Amino acid sequence: MMNRRTGCNGVDHVISRRGLLTGSAGVVLAGSITPVHAAQLAGEQKQILQVFLQGGLSQLESWDPKPGTRYGGPFRAIPTSVPGIHVSELLPMTASRMHLLSIVRSLDIKTNSHHQGRLFMEMGRRTGTFPYVGAVASKYLAPQSSPLPGYVHISTRGLTDVTEGFLGASHSQLRLSGESAPENLAPPDTLTADAARRRDALRRHFNDRFAGRRGQRAFTEALNSSFDAADKLMNRRELLVAEPTPKDLERYGKHDFAQKCILARTLLEHGATCVKVTHHGYDTHAENFNFHLEQLGEFDPPFCALLDDLHFSGMLEHTLVVIYSEFGRTPKINQRYGRDHWGTAWSIALGGCGINPGVVVGSTNAEGTGVAKREIHGGHLFHTYFRALGLDTSEPHEITGRNIPIGDPAVAAVEELLA
Amino acid sequence: MPQPRTQILLAVVAMLVGQSVKPVVADPPRLYQQIDQLVAEALTDFQGHVGGRSSDADFFRRIHLDLIGTVPGLAEMRFFLEDTSPTEEKRERVIDRLLADHRYGRRMQYVFDEMLMERRPGSNVPDAEWRQYLRESFQQNKPWDALVQEILSADGADAEHRPAARFYLDRNFEADVVTRDIGRVFLGVDLECAQCHNHPFIDDYEQRHYYGINAFLTRTYLFRDPKSEQTQLGERAEGDVSFTSVFTGEEGGTDPRMLDLPVIPDPMETASQYVVEPKNGARGVPKYSRRQALARVMVSEENTPFHHNIVNRLWAVMMGRGLVEPLDCWHSDNPPSHPSLVGLLAREFVKQDHDVRWLLKQLAMTDTYQRSSHSEKSASDDDTRWYAAGLLKPLTPEQLAWSVMQATGVVEQTMAAKTIELQRNEAEKKSEEGNGDDSSSEPPFIAPADSANDPAWREETLRVALKPMVDQFVKQFAASRGQATGFDSNAQQALFLINGPLVQGWLVPKNGNLVERLKYAETAAAFAEELYICVLSRQPTETEIAEVTVYLAAARDQTIAAQDMTWALLSSAEFRFNH
Repeated sequence: MMNRRTGCNGVDHVISRRGLLTGSAGVVLAGSITPVHAAQLAGEQKQILQVFLQGGLSQLESWDPKPGTRYGGPFRAIPTSVPGIHVSELLPMTASRMHLLSIVRSLDIKTNSHHQGRLFMEMGRRTGTFPYVGAVASKYLAPQSSPLPGYVHISTRGLTDVTEGFLGASHSQLRLSGESAPENLAPPDTLTADAARRRDALRRHFNDRFAGRRGQRAFTEALNSSFDAADKLMNRRELLVAEPTPKDLERYGKHDFAQKCILARTLLEHGATCVKVTHHGYDTHAENFNFHLEQLGEFDPPFCALLDDLHFSGMLEHTLVVIYSEFGRTPKINQRYGRDHWGTAWSIALGGCGINPGVVVGSTNAEGTGVAKREIHGGHLFHTYFRALGLDTSEPHEITGRNIPIGDPAVAAVEELLA
Repeated sequence: MPQPRTQILLAVVAMLVGQSVKPVVADPPRLYQQIDQLVAEALTDFQGHVGGRSSDADFFRRIHLDLIGTVPGLAEMRFFLEDTSPTEEKRERVIDRLLADHRYGRRMQYVFDEMLMERRPGSNVPDAEWRQYLRESFQQNKPWDALVQEILSADGADAEHRPAARFYLDRNFEADVVTRDIGRVFLGVDLECAQCHNHPFIDDYEQRHYYGINAFLTRTYLFRDPKSEQTQLGERAEGDVSFTSVFTGEEGGTDPRMLDLPVIPDPMETASQYVVEPKNGARGVPKYSRRQALARVMVSEENTPFHHNIVNRLWAVMMGRGLVEPLDCWHSDNPPSHPSLVGLLAREFVKQDHDVRWLLKQLAMTDTYQRSSHSEKSASDDDTRWYAAGLLKPLTPEQLAWSVMQATGVVEQTMAAKTIELQRNEAEKKSEEGNGDDSSSEPPFIAPADSANDPAWREETLRVALKPMVDQFVKQFAASRGQATGFDSNAQQALFLINGPLVQGWLVPKNGNLVERLKYAETAAAFAEELYICVLSRQPTETEIAEVTVYLAAARDQTIAAQDMTWALLSSAEFRFNH
């Protein structure tokens, strides 16, 4: 079952994980995406863009509209660029790019908890401590020479997730608070560039002497590489705090989420392996419809600008794009015109590397109160993402002493989504 | 070798008194000697691989980090290095002294907090209360079985034992989480995958093991006490578990059962009976509590995995690698590297009534523990399992914080400031008494007159004063959850050291801290000695003194040179690891 071709465009054999680990990054140092840069990245590095709609996007106001039904709400369904697929009218720009994306309408994760839902959607496991999608990507898809940390999360609010599970600190997420640079990236006023250089040279000298007399090189190397990674990050500080160009601001927008999307593009261009962007504010227990109108109005244009940039530069061919939440929202509308937590029958969208575009998988019943066809949960999706990226999720993790399959062995990928 | 010498002595005595003496039975080897023997026997040609004994300085740093969680201070370091007593003797004295030190409780608090709570956030039991409970338990050397029984039987209802309930309460008593963590933390087995099906890769872990433990817990539920508004545990007198394999569809049911020990059926005579019936506002208390039964069978002598697990975890704390590794992956395809050693340690530990201090001393006394970490050969992960050389142990976030503060002089400065504050308070108090002015408000805390010299007061004061700094290190460096022996590091951690204001602030010369002392060092040799002893807990070598001399000569400003070198040593591998 796992032997079918799972690689992305342009790779005509199953990519071995060793191959991925030794593959070099096509590092692009500056400027916008040109086809040449994109070609350098293509086929060499697989990337992921996760757009996390935090709080729980309503499937009825997005990917699975049910206008005119009991719980349908006030919004219409509109046709998309794929004949036969309709989405909510709150996503007009995304609708015209539906041929780049696919929808899963039959998610049932059997939890209504923000925390558990988020963990399940990230770890592909209902319980336990496992690495997040981004940490797994960092470990198996990020080239050694990667100029940026493998897993970057752009999020305004602090979530203290342990994202790396058992994969080690170097695969944990680097969290960027919106457009501001990460903590301690800039030297304090008292520390001159000269002093920093001198100190680092001394540190290296001391380390070499110590490591030369100790057997466990892996430990001393891990320590050294964290300083190298810090150095790379400091050298790219400009990138992380760069002002968007007027043209980008015009296309993406000027609000917080738009700027996060611009930063996400920059990071992907410069070789970050997994970039997660969080759009906060979908937990609409009250005024669900007004909030979704506002939230998706903020989501639709910058997301589509980002999707276009990835598409026209060719990056989409090696970049998996996932738009997801921790759960959906109840069909039943409460007394405050809100919809509540709902893990029972909801949707996500995905596209790009390794994904069949323009597909709808599964369905809900007429009023959206349950899955009608093809029940899917976080475990299936986790397999699907990495199969699409060419990683064999039935293999065990490469960690000493443990024998843990990368994906939950009780479930498998959603084959109809895989290109 | 005491034995031949004793025999000769006795023979002489016998000749003198003209009587024959019975042959003397030699003392059986001490546990630590047996440990070394088993370690040596495990590898053919062990003598060909084994490294030498650690230097006094390396040992002194190592034992301080392991037993009291910080690098040693300058004065104690110098005193130890100048002590000319026989090596075994002076090392044993240090071990005994540190085990009795007030910082021992703090260090064990950190070790066991990480082991039991795995840096899990939680708010049902305040951090401070739980940590105090752990600290005091270890400072008083509460036996491990007694501690675990308290933890596993606590319901959070009586104030005295409420902190012990944190293990359950701050896992929100989610039965799956609690079942899995009881397996991992107390038994060394991770039954995670056996929840939904028999473990796909590990034959030993079966669904019945998971549900056997789960059945002890299935009747317990979180209860919100309406009066105190506290979260507590209630328990019903009925309820069983059943399970279905997601692979095979096979179904099963089980009574409470500790792994492969016999099932524990509910006693018939109290079936379904309550002390307090669960109702709205009333916490259920059954006549027969399965959760109490869990606590009893967990610590029972027959429950070998429980004893194996704790000796393995303490071994890992001291030696840098578990005899079973990973620590929670005990099964037949992953046997201990030294099977008879695990058995021996567990038996002796039980015989000594689960005395943690005693076990730590035995481990610290071994050659295995005291072996040098120097090795010219690059060691693969497979090589480290034979303990032929001392292993590198990454400092925990707490060890790192306390060590940086010890090295840079923050600990000393803080103590000095707090002592002055105390004396001022006492002086004010005295003068108020002299005035006979009873109406003046009392200072918040009046310590006994000589409390500045009381180690308990000093420890408490320092721990409270420096907690915010320790917390910053924990936030930055505690990337993974739970006790583990690997090492990894990321860019943010390096940035914290490179640019972070906390560490940079400690490099500013003031109040006689390390950088200020270095600033006024009169010779390069004095500079080098002070620097290396304070930061790396050892004397500098000739080469290192020469390097310092050259660096100082080239630097325009001795303060800047002091900051550069202090920072570089604090950020170096030699400091980052316990070696």
